[in-house]
Amino acid sequence: MVSTTAALVVALSLIPLLYLLIRAAQKPVNESIALLVRVKTLEVVGTTALLVLMVVLLTGFFGLVIAAGLHFLELPAKPWLVIPAVLPLAIPSYVFTYTWIAFAPGFSGFFAAVLILFLTTLPYVTLASLAGFARVDASQIEVARSLGLTYPKTFFKVVLPQIKTHLSGGLLLAGLYTMSDFGAVSLLNVDTLTVTIQNMYRASYDRTAAAVISLVLIVLSALFVFADENIRRKQQAGVAIKTTTIKSALIKRSSYVATTSALIGVYAVLAIVIPVYVLLSRFFSNTVEISWQLLLQASFSTITVALLGALIALLLSIPLGILLTERSNRFSQFSSRLILIAHALPGVVVGLALVSFGSKLGPIYQSTFLLAFAYSLLFLAKSIASMSASLRAVPTGAKEVAATLGLNRWLVLKNVVTPIAFPGIALGAVLVFLTAMKELPATLMLRPTGFETLATQIWSYAAINRFNEAAPYALILILIAAIPTFILSRPDKSDRNKTNAELVG
Amino acid sequence: MGKVVRVGFITALVLSLISGCSFGAPNSEQVSELTIYSGRSEKFISPFFTQFTEQTGIKLNVRYADSAELAAQILEEGSNSSADVFLAQDAGSLGAVSAANLFTQLSTDVANQIPAKFNQAQRNWVGVTARVRVFAYDPKRVKTLPKSISDLTKPIYKDQIGIAPTNSSFQAFLTAVIESKGRAFAKSWLSSLRANGVKIYPKNSVIVEAIDKGEIPLGLVNHYYTWEVAEALGRQINVVNGYFEPGDLGNLINLSGAGVLKSSKKQDAAIGLINFLTSPASQKQFVEQTHEYSPIPSIQPPANLPALDLIGSPAIDLGSLKNIRQTQDLLIEVGLL
Repeated sequence: MVSTTAALVVALSLIPLLYLLIRAAQKPVNESIALLVRVKTLEVVGTTALLVLMVVLLTGFFGLVIAAGLHFLELPAKPWLVIPAVLPLAIPSYVFTYTWIAFAPGFSGFFAAVLILFLTTLPYVTLASLAGFARVDASQIEVARSLGLTYPKTFFKVVLPQIKTHLSGGLLLAGLYTMSDFGAVSLLNVDTLTVTIQNMYRASYDRTAAAVISLVLIVLSALFVFADENIRRKQQAGVAIKTTTIKSALIKRSSYVATTSALIGVYAVLAIVIPVYVLLSRFFSNTVEISWQLLLQASFSTITVALLGALIALLLSIPLGILLTERSNRFSQFSSRLILIAHALPGVVVGLALVSFGSKLGPIYQSTFLLAFAYSLLFLAKSIASMSASLRAVPTGAKEVAATLGLNRWLVLKNVVTPIAFPGIALGAVLVFLTAMKELPATLMLRPTGFETLATQIWSYAAINRFNEAAPYALILILIAAIPTFILSRPDKSDRNKTNAELVG
Repeated sequence: MGKVVRVGFITALVLSLISGCSFGAPNSEQVSELTIYSGRSEKFISPFFTQFTEQTGIKLNVRYADSAELAAQILEEGSNSSADVFLAQDAGSLGAVSAANLFTQLSTDVANQIPAKFNQAQRNWVGVTARVRVFAYDPKRVKTLPKSISDLTKPIYKDQIGIAPTNSSFQAFLTAVIESKGRAFAKSWLSSLRANGVKIYPKNSVIVEAIDKGEIPLGLVNHYYTWEVAEALGRQINVVNGYFEPGDLGNLINLSGAGVLKSSKKQDAAIGLINFLTSPASQKQFVEQTHEYSPIPSIQPPANLPALDLIGSPAIDLGSLKNIRQTQDLLIEVGLL
């Protein structure tokens, strides 16, 4: 049953890939080869790979440091500090980039793109590391400390190995996002594969050539996903588990506290204050009357369809999640990898694939449901990546013990696996929600005609340079995004309450 | 609870089936709504749609998106497209849909005010507004104005010029250069321009903003961006439009236009919308509100702008500007794309 459902999910998620293969096959082979081996393609592949590499390195380092600070240090107003560390996730990349260009004239080129994409994707790594830290066995830290290990040594020897899977899940998402991004790189004049793909649609309406280049992107993405798998495999699965939820004592060392606070502060300035400042100054330098009704309507539409998308993504990822925990066989691993690889595709490709299939479905085409479904397919990888990192942290021993104690399959899943994997599952759902809210290319193609979301409204004003009129919509988007971010920022608390309740019960 | 959900689901299913059936409405005067795919932005075009609805009682469902992406979407939808009318910002997007044979051929009494040279030859689509390529410049910093595009490669303009090579209007202009002067000329012009330190920008509007900020003194854009940027910033900007000598390729005229989808079951109503947009009243409104030119010769040019025939646009058949692919390849070859 579960396997069949999982197979169905995989089939659905492969629609974009299937579409690309069909379109690419329509191009004569010699033309495709000429396209692939031309110098420009090779250059673009090089630029894309280098961009991904730099973004992954930067986000890996800073994400880890910030998350560690947030988790292990005694920081003032801690839950509030998580918000600026995560919120930039909700700012659409074209708004982000445009505000930077407006702020710093001449801001352009490869390193500008590295900076913007680093700023945009840092939350993926911060959040994934936080989810990992939440599962780190505190007693081991105590032991390491009592044996005289310094904090940094304890971190590298005891903590880091335990969160490696989470970290790599976050890096995977950051890298795949970088590959698929169009907004930032196009505005900054950096030629990546997505820019080439988009140019092929935009200026030459050549869908087959775009499909061929998309397949190159898929290959690059596959290399990236498998490299990540190799790193993970070197680690033993499920080595540690928090046996109790006793938290390690928070560290109060002032130099650490100052460094973390400064890092978050600088990040907040670069990734939130500057965009918001530019938007507000545009708004106040040329104020327009805000249509509250439209604003409210767009907010409501955005929340509804993004929530529905997150829910569908969650439902779709469950069968694969179960398969990955119960019998992590070739099929389940291969499927989850395929879904991750396809995540590098830019929204316009996925959008067109769904237009191609969806337009044959009659009334379902361009319905709210199909749009939500598109979100779930676009962002299924976020759900899977976050979930599987947590699932890997579930020790096989715990499952076996539970089974020998007479718990059946569902009870093991419910009472043993789900509580341990919960932070990852919740993280996945929130990531889908946050990114669906700002999704643009697929939304433009698949929304019901006349249905406007915050992202489409921002786009429609930004396209004609009316950033003053786009500002209210962008600010509301950021405010709405703050809510799930805030809830997510307190996993420790909900975790503790639940376990206490369980202990009492 | 489960039952309620199930009943609700079935009701929804039945309702959606019923509503699904109704969209095969016959081609008659009972048409109550039309679906428009619009590459023109909501802000500027929606007042026209409102007026159309007021006059005819036909409700318009409008999908706003980028012209090129809407064209790609229509190509994917094929005969299943839900669009009745496609309204695009550039001739290229319309050309792509037309080449796929998805537009209805319009008879000569449709949009009959628009001169033939501003329509596609087979009348698969018709021009709605015209825009002129110009050089926008900072009057305080540019003392000697260029007379032709060849002047731009001279030393006095070194590091002075901004272009947007990914922009479809720029590519249409370059296609015209290739078509009329040959690829070799276009290539050497682009290479000299590059050697002359031309600066690359993502969009026309960003070029105009860069001139206003003093980043560059001069840039190649469409004429209406000086208004669009000033209106967006809510203040006067330090940028004016300049024209090359009459007949120079730098003064190319581009079109925005519209076509009716073959798959539309509401051909008459769709044609009604096109006639409405090309009527003298609507045309005057375009000129006043969006500062674009009307292709109808009797309609005055936008305020403070020279008439189209005074600018002296090059004699180029807009239908010949399809070969954007070759243009892109050239841009790639000289390293500008």
